[in-house]
This record gives sequence, C-alpha cells and structure tokens, in this order.
Amino acid sequence: RQPDMRSSIARPGAHARGAREPSAAHAYARPQGLPLASTVAAAATVPAKSRQPRRLPRARDSAPRGVATRATVLDMLMKPLTSLNKVENLKEGIAGFYDDSSALWEELWGEHMHHGYYPKGQPLKSNQEAQIDMIEETLKFAGVTEAKTMVDVGCGIGGSSRFISQKLGCSARGITLSPKQAARANELTAREGLSDRASFQVGDALAQPFGDGSFDLVWSMESGEHMPDKPKFVAELARVCAPGGTVIVVTWCHRVLAPGEALRPEEASLLDRICEAYYLPAWCSVSDYEKLFAAEGLTDIKSGDWSDEVAPFWGAVIQTALTSAGVLGLLRAGWGTIKGALVMPLMAQGFRMGLIKFNIITARKPQ
Amino acid sequence: MKLLTHNMLACHIKGVKNNYPFLIEATQVEARDADYNPDFLKHIFPRIDWPAFMQGAKSLKCADGLPETATPDMLDNSLFLQKFHHALLEVVLEEGALVCPETGRKFAVNKGIPNLLLQEDEC
Repeated sequence: RQPDMRSSIARPGAHARGAREPSAAHAYARPQGLPLASTVAAAATVPAKSRQPRRLPRARDSAPRGVATRATVLDMLMKPLTSLNKVENLKEGIAGFYDDSSALWEELWGEHMHHGYYPKGQPLKSNQEAQIDMIEETLKFAGVTEAKTMVDVGCGIGGSSRFISQKLGCSARGITLSPKQAARANELTAREGLSDRASFQVGDALAQPFGDGSFDLVWSMESGEHMPDKPKFVAELARVCAPGGTVIVVTWCHRVLAPGEALRPEEASLLDRICEAYYLPAWCSVSDYEKLFAAEGLTDIKSGDWSDEVAPFWGAVIQTALTSAGVLGLLRAGWGTIKGALVMPLMAQGFRMGLIKFNIITARKPQ
Repeated sequence: MKLLTHNMLACHIKGVKNNYPFLIEATQVEARDADYNPDFLKHIFPRIDWPAFMQGAKSLKCADGLPETATPDMLDNSLFLQKFHHALLEVVLEEGALVCPETGRKFAVNKGIPNLLLQEDEC
C-alpha cells in the first residue's frame, strides 16, 4: 500500500503534529524539540487522520545494504552525544553555536564559512581558493555581473560580502543571529578598508530589518539550512529584492522525493543527528525551493546540483579537525563545537548516500 | 552604524505601518576616516532616501551644509560630495538606539552594531 504522504515544505507548528504520530518503522525515540525530517515534510499538508503508517522499505528501494546499515549504526551511536545539552530555543542555539565556534573556524579555515567548489576532473585547489571559486561560480551561474546594493543573509564574518562588494563595487549589508560574528565581520571589514561599503547587523532572516526592494542582489550562502520556516525565508528574500534584482540561495537540501515518497527511516534518522548538532530545524529538497520561489512571483528560476563539486570539502575539514591545532581548538571552543565536529562524518555519509545534496537556486524579481 | 546602513533599515514588528526611518538616540558618536570615492557616492546616491538621510544626519549632528533636498546635479559639486561622503560614511553611531517611529520600541546599538532581532510576539 502506498503511504499517503506528500513531500512538502516545512512550516512552523508542523513538528507538533508530527510528534503525535507514532510510526511502526522506527525503533528509536524522536529527539525532543526537533521534528523528524520526513514527518515535518509530510505533516505540512496532510491532516493527521489520513496519514498511513510509514511502510517498511522494500529490499529494492534501499541504498546498497552496507551504506544504510552503517548510517543507522553510526547515527544511533551519535544520538546521545548530539541530543545532550541542546538549546531549546532555535535562534539562541544558532547564535550560541556561531558565537562559540566562529573563532575556531576562522583560525583554521579563514573568513569564508562555506563549502569550497572543486570542479570535476581538475586538480584540487587549496581550500581557500576553492571557497573563492564557490562565490565566483555562484555569481556566474546566476548571471550576476553588476549590482549597486547587496544583502548577505546569514553573513557569517562577512567573507562573501567583502569579496562581492570589491568585485562588483556594491554596498553590502549582512545579517547574522550571532553578535560575535557581526562584531568580527565589522572588524575584518574595517581592517580591509571596506567599512564605507559593508556593514553587519544582528538580524533575523525571517524578519529582515530592511525595506522592500532594497537590494539588487540577495545572497544566501549556506544559511538556508538554519531556517525553520522555508516559506517565510523565501518570502523575505523576495521582499527585500529590488525589481530586476537577483535572488541566490546556495544550501544543503535532501534528495528530491517522488510524489508520495517519504525519506527512508535511515535517511530521516541521519538528518536528525545532523539537525541536532548544527541547529538545522528543517530540510526540504531543491524542488521545494523552486516551488517557493515561484510562489513569490520570482521568474527565470534556475537550479543546480553541485554535490559532486563540493565532495572533497568534508574530508578536508575533518582532516583539519584532526590536526593538533584542530583538536586543541575544539577543546577550547566547547561542547557545541565538538558536537559539530563529531557530526562531520555524518555529513560526508549523507552526501555519499545521495541523501544530502548541495544545491543552488537562483531567480529574478520581475521589473 | 553609519547613516548608509540606517538608510536601509526598517522596523518589521508585525502590523507596523510607519516603519521607516528609525529615529536615532545617540549616546556615543564617533567620526572615522573613510576612503573618499566619488564614483561610489554617485553610484549610491540614487538609492539613498534623502529625507531619511537628513533626519539621521541631524540626529548625529552632521547635517550642517547639507541641503534639505538633493538633486543629481549636485553630484558635480565636490563640496557637496565631500559633505555627503562625511555624513554618509564617516560618522558612526557607536552606542545608542534605533527607535521605531510608530511603536517607540528601541533596538540597541552596541559597539556600532544594531541588534534588530524581534521578540517572539513581535513577528
């Protein structure tokens, strides 16, 4: 029997409905406070009564056995670690996570807090070069060659903003939930003599503190994962985009699901472990984003899958974490950061399983 | 926070209509040199809401010599450009608050960084 579930887009409150629905396929308890990735997707549009119990995956549906088994064992081992000391309030959790871990990341990896882009079939560049390439490839994919104003949504310590404002001559405003990141972003910007054009604020991507149509370029580089309310996230991106401007979202998504398909139990549980460690409250697919973009009236919607091009990244990050500088840094930074490091093999696993995708979605706001 | 930033900020408390520009309470204001770049100023001028800019400049006491209304031909006047440059990019609100014009809600500015996060019941 086919389950009556639809892949849909996470909405707030969905987790409350999802939490009440027991599932025969799961042998473990769902962590408190965070929704199960696949039930959030299902709960969004299907009333609780009509939902069928999730069918057990048939042999031909699963990923090669070894991969699935390893994912389940690994994430069950990780569960007590990732659930420990979780902060219940999401925004505080995100702010705290970045307040604590941003300095270590910067020390080991520099000012760009996003994946590197490693073109297939070419020798690997250094990680820092690959991170610059990521920005360049993103602008190229979106066809952006000029802008007067840009907004960096989830700006980290401002790496993208500084790079783009120098490249295109635009002003840049960035928002982050983390006061430490905003301060560090402003400090680095002052050092580079770019304070006249780039500035960083503590602000919420779901309630952007800017007027409508303020920016020619609306840039979200690997911050969408943190948004609990994807429709609101996209609505705000569209709102602050100027007519004729471009919206770019680069983000991790789960694989595109067929109509009526749900994530397999081992896939959902892997995402749960990753969610808990990185404060990623909801996952959707690139198709879900495309639908949201269309719903906001954005046009020329284009998307890409760069999972292969970022594949070398997690291995490189893990290697760095295992150096003495990495280990000492983690111990200094504290439990939240350590959890983030421990979960990195799960991210790598998720990519290998074909579950986690690295996607880009771009569109224009009509004139 | 510079006036260039102030010019783009608006209050997004639910239901608020008159949300721009923020009023400014200035406790500590500093002046910092910024590279003078006339091309950038001409670039950005069309995007500046001039009344909001003047209101902010008055709050930060750097409005002297700036016209109440501005037209693009003024950009050819280097004296105007220099005053514009100074007020837009060199005067920094270090400590104070941004105040929503409708509700009076204050958003703190500490160490030059505005914190614009809303409370749960405001969004």
